[in-house]
Amino acid sequence: MATFADPDEELVRRVGQGDPAAIQAMVARKLPRMLALAQRMLGDPVEAEDVAQEAMVRAWRQAPRWVSGRARFDTWLHRVALNLCYDRLRRRREIPTDAPPERRDEGPAPDRGLLAADVGAAVNGALARLPDRQREAIVLCHYQELSNIEAAGLMEISIEALESLLSRGRRALRLALAEHRPGAEGVSK
Amino acid sequence: MTAERFHALVAAYGADRRHWPEDERAAAEAFAAAHADVAAPALDDADALDALLHRSPTPQVSMALRDRVLAAAVTASGRAGRTGRVWIDRLSLAFGAGWAVATCAGVAAGVIMTANFAADAQADAVLYQASLLGVDDTEVLG
Repeated sequence: MATFADPDEELVRRVGQGDPAAIQAMVARKLPRMLALAQRMLGDPVEAEDVAQEAMVRAWRQAPRWVSGRARFDTWLHRVALNLCYDRLRRRREIPTDAPPERRDEGPAPDRGLLAADVGAAVNGALARLPDRQREAIVLCHYQELSNIEAAGLMEISIEALESLLSRGRRALRLALAEHRPGAEGVSK
Repeated sequence: MTAERFHALVAAYGADRRHWPEDERAAAEAFAAAHADVAAPALDDADALDALLHRSPTPQVSMALRDRVLAAAVTASGRAGRTGRVWIDRLSLAFGAGWAVATCAGVAAGVIMTANFAADAQADAVLYQASLLGVDDTEVLG
């Protein structure tokens, strides 16, 4: 007996039975979400695709033996994807290098003005420069729209610790993106 | 809800009420309504940052990634379609692009080589449905 409602429960059950329509629906529902999570955690579109794909592969394997009521499927899938992201972040740190890992999507192109797309790139760049745990908290709460309880549970921290990470992360982003705020000189629409 | 807690909440979760903790949302909204002079500047400031964060582009799932994930579903369930060629052809028809065929050929080859060859209409249906555009999540789930 499930102790909480899991909006994915029926879909997972059907995926576990090999229902083609359910598999199709699961891809439509979860793949964009996992890709967005990995992209913002890693800042690298190629690695993000790898992580999203691997998370979905694990979902296919898990679905037939999924026991409802223990956790939300979406939360479990986030945990899988986050672990994969942290494996890659750890590997980056372990590989000796003179230069920090290349971050993509940072800053405007040199031959044009600050366009709307460049603001998006600046936001991604600022996110990428956050400490991993602050970025994780903001990605989970702001972009993935998980509840504070779900996010704290995934991160294995208290609600207070989550709020501290969120506040510090947002403060750093506010500073990093100051020039893009409304009223700032040169801000683009 | 104290002013201090309201500010801490907005500093952490931003101005979007949907992101506020469920058990404090009503109290925070009531505080904002009752103390607009205190709440409004904090909300405006947080809202400006929220708006910027929303400018982060959401990555789009490529057809190639989607096809790889669908092919993995077939492999994971151990039910390869009757022939990989059939669904390559269907993808080709559905997307009308050679790149889809080229991208999926490698995946399909892997599926064909490693999966058992028992004909399974169900797996074939996965791939057929994958080739149909416009299948909506809510349609499927009712």
